[in-house]
Amino acid sequence: MKILVSIKQVPDLESRFKVNEKGNWVVESDLAFRLNEYDEYAIEEAVRLKEKIGIDNVDITVLSIGPERVKEVIKKALAMGVDRGIYIKDNEVFSKDPFRIATIINECVKDNGYDIIFTGMQSNDRSSCQIGVFLGELLGINTITTIIGFEYNNNVVTVKRELEGGKKMILKCSLPLLLTCQLGLNTPRYPTLPNIMKAKKKEIKEYDVNDFDKVPNNITITKLTHPEKKSKAEFMEGSVSDIAPKLVKIIKNKI
Amino acid sequence: MYNTREIYWNVGHSVLIPMYLFAFIAISILFYGFYKRYKVYKKGKPENRFDNIFQRLKYFLSNLFLQRKVLKVFSIGSVHALLFWSFLILFIGTTLIFIQADILNPLFGFKFLKGNFYKLFSLALDLAGFVAIAAVLIFIVRRFIIRPSGLETTRDDIIIHILLLIILFSGFIVEGLRIAHTEINLENKLKLFSPVGLLFANFFTSLSENSLLISHKLLWWAHFIFSITFIAAIPYLKLRHIFTTPSNYFFKDYRPKGKLATIDIEDESRETFGVNDIKEYTWKDIFDTDACTKCKRCQDRCPAYSTKKPLSPMKVVNDINKISFNFAEHNSLIDVVGKDSIWSCTTCMACQETCPADIEHIRKIIDMRRYLVLMDGEFPGEEVQLSINNIEVNGNPFGNSFADREKWTEGSGVTLLSEDSNVDIMYFVGCYASYDPRNVKIAKSFINICESAHIKVGLLGKEEKCCGDPARKMGNEYLYQMVARENIENINKYNIKKIVTTCPHCFNTLSKDYKDLGLTAEVVPYIKFINQLIKENKIHLQKQVFDCTYHDSCYVGRYNDMFEEQRDIIKLLGGNLKEMEKHHLESFCCGGGGGRIIADEKLGEKISVKRIEMAKNTGQPIVVSNCPFCLTMFEDGIKIAEYEHLLKTKDIAELIEEHIENRGH
Repeated sequence: MKILVSIKQVPDLESRFKVNEKGNWVVESDLAFRLNEYDEYAIEEAVRLKEKIGIDNVDITVLSIGPERVKEVIKKALAMGVDRGIYIKDNEVFSKDPFRIATIINECVKDNGYDIIFTGMQSNDRSSCQIGVFLGELLGINTITTIIGFEYNNNVVTVKRELEGGKKMILKCSLPLLLTCQLGLNTPRYPTLPNIMKAKKKEIKEYDVNDFDKVPNNITITKLTHPEKKSKAEFMEGSVSDIAPKLVKIIKNKI
Repeated sequence: MYNTREIYWNVGHSVLIPMYLFAFIAISILFYGFYKRYKVYKKGKPENRFDNIFQRLKYFLSNLFLQRKVLKVFSIGSVHALLFWSFLILFIGTTLIFIQADILNPLFGFKFLKGNFYKLFSLALDLAGFVAIAAVLIFIVRRFIIRPSGLETTRDDIIIHILLLIILFSGFIVEGLRIAHTEINLENKLKLFSPVGLLFANFFTSLSENSLLISHKLLWWAHFIFSITFIAAIPYLKLRHIFTTPSNYFFKDYRPKGKLATIDIEDESRETFGVNDIKEYTWKDIFDTDACTKCKRCQDRCPAYSTKKPLSPMKVVNDINKISFNFAEHNSLIDVVGKDSIWSCTTCMACQETCPADIEHIRKIIDMRRYLVLMDGEFPGEEVQLSINNIEVNGNPFGNSFADREKWTEGSGVTLLSEDSNVDIMYFVGCYASYDPRNVKIAKSFINICESAHIKVGLLGKEEKCCGDPARKMGNEYLYQMVARENIENINKYNIKKIVTTCPHCFNTLSKDYKDLGLTAEVVPYIKFINQLIKENKIHLQKQVFDCTYHDSCYVGRYNDMFEEQRDIIKLLGGNLKEMEKHHLESFCCGGGGGRIIADEKLGEKISVKRIEMAKNTGQPIVVSNCPFCLTMFEDGIKIAEYEHLLKTKDIAELIEEHIENRGH
């Protein structure tokens, strides 16, 4: 069985974000980068599947697009138990829209015949939730989003997915298929030292994005700003008899 | 007629051959027992504990003969010391008899056990025997009647106490029977030099001569057989500590206190990291467990044990011993010791400091943590894994942006090394003093102290990362080395000669552990640095009387033997210092060491509350500390105990800053 996990490196959300001069993205110098949280669930689920159905029968590939630093998250995936990596070099990936990126991935992997593709349900930075769905569509395979449970038995996959209003849905589906992973699916493992060492020897195939970049942007970022501060907190001090009437007044004004 | 006695009286010289035969058998059994144990020690990895031979010998001899570590707990320790010294005298006496009766006399016809020397010899042995009996009786009362809590009594203890009593009493009975026959009716005062023997002799005066002689012969043999049984049993019972504990003094760890072995993580031939099998320990780790006498002094002082957590340093050591000597080899050490026990350690060093056998508990526990993290990717809780991830991504356990590490300096006029590396000292701030609002105050106080002394301080700022202590103590050697190497590279880049720390955990890591990874700069804890400034008259302090108590943090006190400098400063400032129930080497941990600062304390009671309780009991309004972890734990402890109105925390840097005299510089 061949599995693909598509992942992204994102800035840590605690970072100090500054908008760049062009006003279309952020300045990277003070950012710490990490593996996208949802992609970590995707990697974990793929590795668990490999462990369940026998490590010799499953081959997992991890793919990521971006500048050189992106190799760090590929290495982390390899240390978690993925077999090989695909790195598509692209210093301008931030300027590409989700459909264009999905097309790049599709061009790169369409002939590899993956049985299952895992990816995160969204990214921590852009949160567009589109890459997985586009990729499934481009590959012409079944796609199930926001899964929080996964089981595999004899070429049939049973997944649990989250719906609006706290409802859950259980689906059965045959291979090949693409799944986007949601929080709650699993608790990702911490890579062990022997696996970190082994990962250093695993193959990472490198490509240039120009080999796969076939479509123009449909969406371009025109302006990026910090959110306006709309609400504020006010601390009220004094005795209850002083504060209570003031509070009533404020509430009345709001209504 | 000389003052002496006939050796082998009544039993005759014909006993020599059977006696030596039996003695030879007993000693062979003893050697065989230790040989078998030696083979188990050899299962461990090599480690050199034979360097500095003279220093080792000196330490060994002084601790063996003066019983120094044993006497640190004076009450029961003095009983042990008396027992040891009396047995030493009995041993010397027996050796003298052997030298005279079996070597010098038969070969050269020379006797020295006569005259006044014999009197001294006789009196010394009699008194030694008496003291030994008294000591054993006190031990028996303590162990079997008083039964101090936590003292574990096994089959070994029962056998040893009975055996000792039989040997000592049978010795006196043999002597009494002999005196009853030979000396009791003599005019001279020789018998008075065997006072205890004489006392026993009085019971036997009514016996007929024949029964005296027969009982003497029988008892002589009994005494002999029990004595050689004792010798043969040494390696098989807890008695083995007679050899293993003093040997452990010789094998003492002479590395800087608390320094951990740096694992070669790039070594590709290595399949396991950390320890889950005794073969991954060094021989010394296994030997240590054989030197334990289960005196429970470590357990009595363990902050985890005394707050009802499933850790006892004594039990850890004995679990390792059990697996080493009794269990099948494939047994998982971690399963036997228990994960909760392994994760509960705060590495406070109280166990090692007090151990009268010089056992090294902490490295053994860290080695098991290393296995859990590096081989199984396991942590004591999700919150720990999160903090570890935060250190990985942002270089601090809080997950705050690495770029915000220097935010506290805004408007302070501190030099960033990236802008100007020509500074007097580099201040390694550490995560807590960089990000945690309560602890940022310490960093600011330290900077103000330095400014008043016209010291130019440089910071790595956002180039600084966690020193790696919490990660390393939690077993994550890989992450520790990652951040350590980055810090060292940055420090070396600016050609720094002197680093000052306000966090004792940073201090220990930089000054001891970073040496292995190439840090050459001098590292000084702020107390020493400020003390120097005071001595050189570079800062002027105003005395103002205040009441306080002082908490010795583990990584300043026990790890670096710094106790008086802080107290001197406090007194200099006008502090009226009242000690807590536990202080100096016996200080009680805040609960934050050993990486526990990033873990939730889910088991037992809160260590911090227990310590705060001790601070409150002094009646003083301020608890002074000198460690960000302690300060954080105490802030928590005070809130939980609801002592906000009774007790405030203060770091020593804050205190000093408050007392700086402004001379209009």
